[in-house]
Amino acid sequence: MRLWWNQPRMAELPEIDFTLEYPYTRTTGPIIGPFLTGLRDGRILGTRVGDRVVCPPVEYDPATGATIGPEHLVEVGPAGTVDAWTWVAEPTSKHPFDHPFAFAQIKLDGADTTMLHAVDAGSIEKMTTGMRVVVRYHDDGLGTITDVHFVPGDVPPAMPRPAAAGDADPEPVAITEHLIGVRIREPLQPHRRRFLQGLSVGRILGQRSPADGKIHVPSRGYDAINRVPMTEADDVEVADRGTVTSFTEITPVQYHGQTETEPYIRCSILLDGADTTIGGIDIRDIPIDEFRVGLRLQMIWNDAVGRGEVRFDDVDNRSYGLTEAVYERWEPTGEPDVDPELVKEHNF
Amino acid sequence: MATPEDRAPEDIAIVAVAQTEAHARYDGPEVVLIMEVVNRLLAEADLERGDVGFTIAGSCDYLGGMPFAFVSNVDGMGAWPPVYESHLEMDGAWALFEAWLRLQMGDIDVAMVVGSGKSSPCNAREVFHLQADPYVVAPLGLDPDAMAGIQARALIDAGRATEADIADVVVRSRAAAMTNPNAQVAGEVSVDSLLAAPYDMAPLRAHDVSPKADGAAGVLLARRDRARELTDTPVWITGLDHRIESHHAGLRDLTDSASTRLAATGAGVAAGPIDVAELHVTHAHEEIILRDALGLDETTVVNPSGGPLAGDPVMATGLTRIIEVARRIAGGDADRGVGHAASGAALQQNLLCVMEGGG
Repeated sequence: MRLWWNQPRMAELPEIDFTLEYPYTRTTGPIIGPFLTGLRDGRILGTRVGDRVVCPPVEYDPATGATIGPEHLVEVGPAGTVDAWTWVAEPTSKHPFDHPFAFAQIKLDGADTTMLHAVDAGSIEKMTTGMRVVVRYHDDGLGTITDVHFVPGDVPPAMPRPAAAGDADPEPVAITEHLIGVRIREPLQPHRRRFLQGLSVGRILGQRSPADGKIHVPSRGYDAINRVPMTEADDVEVADRGTVTSFTEITPVQYHGQTETEPYIRCSILLDGADTTIGGIDIRDIPIDEFRVGLRLQMIWNDAVGRGEVRFDDVDNRSYGLTEAVYERWEPTGEPDVDPELVKEHNF
Repeated sequence: MATPEDRAPEDIAIVAVAQTEAHARYDGPEVVLIMEVVNRLLAEADLERGDVGFTIAGSCDYLGGMPFAFVSNVDGMGAWPPVYESHLEMDGAWALFEAWLRLQMGDIDVAMVVGSGKSSPCNAREVFHLQADPYVVAPLGLDPDAMAGIQARALIDAGRATEADIADVVVRSRAAAMTNPNAQVAGEVSVDSLLAAPYDMAPLRAHDVSPKADGAAGVLLARRDRARELTDTPVWITGLDHRIESHHAGLRDLTDSASTRLAATGAGVAAGPIDVAELHVTHAHEEIILRDALGLDETTVVNPSGGPLAGDPVMATGLTRIIEVARRIAGGDADRGVGHAASGAALQQNLLCVMEGGG
């Protein structure tokens, strides 16, 4: 079935480039809630702790751990004095500005401690320790620390309470949202690149462990049992047919991002010549009541492989499964089943 | 200086150390970096993996953008035969702390510790701001480098250091790294040439910040009697302490390291001379703060490896400080020393490991 042994047109393989994000929602509690509500509505709150005012406010006495209730909230600012600062010459994607700015410890008028925040000063020459800065509230405040920033000077904002101005009784901020994420850019790992290049020309490559001779498909680039790295010299080709070793029927739950709608089979297959199974193979065209451990299956490569036009748009280094970029489906070969007892050590 | 007769059965020693070089970018799996370290540790002590009673790793899944990467990393530690294992989303130095505690239970006598990381796939600054308070700091993206800039400014404003003093830390680190085969950055530079470079996070310049690297480091720990079987040069851990300061930077004095002072008392740093100290300095001015907090004078050699400013394999960097001290004690270049590891912004967390030789 390997029709394209000598197919010279291996697929172009892109660099891995993705952004992993998690949307966090956090309840705010009795002190941070009013503080974030204040930033949205146009005032800055601290808490009185003994004879000091701490801003941002705390729910506890830093020295004793004693609870500090909302009755201790007091208004501070809107202007203050820069204590220490740094000039951010090249902002990261997480910073509040995409042009150079300062991060500073700001001691707001009426507070005894500093608050970290951003000062949009225009240039480093405008920044000095001891300078006066004043808050600027954003019109589109959401109840987060990024609802405000600071600018040089001590003239109070022209419109001190933007949210309250448009809404006589806005809801207090009980939840604050923070979308975190990291952009990952890296090359395919060498063993992974060779595996995908092989697939693009109709070959399934594994690696033979130099320690015990077992063939890993797809390989992770090492033999975990014997703790031996594997190299290109260990690459071997295995068949594109094999035996079902385990399966389950999945009924899709409609979570965010789910693209499946109908029940389908997910199975693991032990390819002929391999000692590890390929997992996560999805079967949509064999009835569940005809599916079984021991069933012999043949992979049907897709036309893109034959034409040398495989595109891997979504590659990663997880060394897991086979990609549907190269196959249409798996078909029963019609061979007699393999005795399930013989593949039971490959069940998982 | 303690004599061999002073060692108690429950005393714990480092019996083997290993580290990879600090790769600017390593293209293979992180597991292979770990495997390299684990295999060298076992070979050095002439042990099989099954002889190890506890394994623990420190790493950070965010760096590679792979949830549960720490689980696949167990492949490198050696999942077979089964073993009690643990993991910390912290630098390997904290994994060493847990292994040291675990060994004191007395039911096992050998533990293996690894710290590893591949930070090249991401911008670490866009990960580690998440260590800050999630309500009032992290959404600003206020990362450790920016916080270090603020701390350096506070130090200068307080008259405790000049920009030239900070550059001098870099000069000494790079010069020391010339004899460190694992270093990423080494060479002779002058304070004047460094001060001619533009600011990055003013008053810090790019060279004041450690170069992030991919790498791994590991140690084998053993209780007294087993340690003496495994090596002729056990390095005894005589004190280990870890202290944390408030995440509310406004409540801290950024020009001092109160947590380092507390940890130094707890670990007994001042109980004898410190011949060598390896400090987790990822921003040059931190060395000035740490030397002061530890009470080190000119009799102590600081960061003879070049320290993290010569190569920062994130999540292995703190453990590497302990390794660099242990290597010098085992090699007879020092009798007593301290390894320091830091975590969080502006030296928020500090761990100290005091070590002695003496057989």
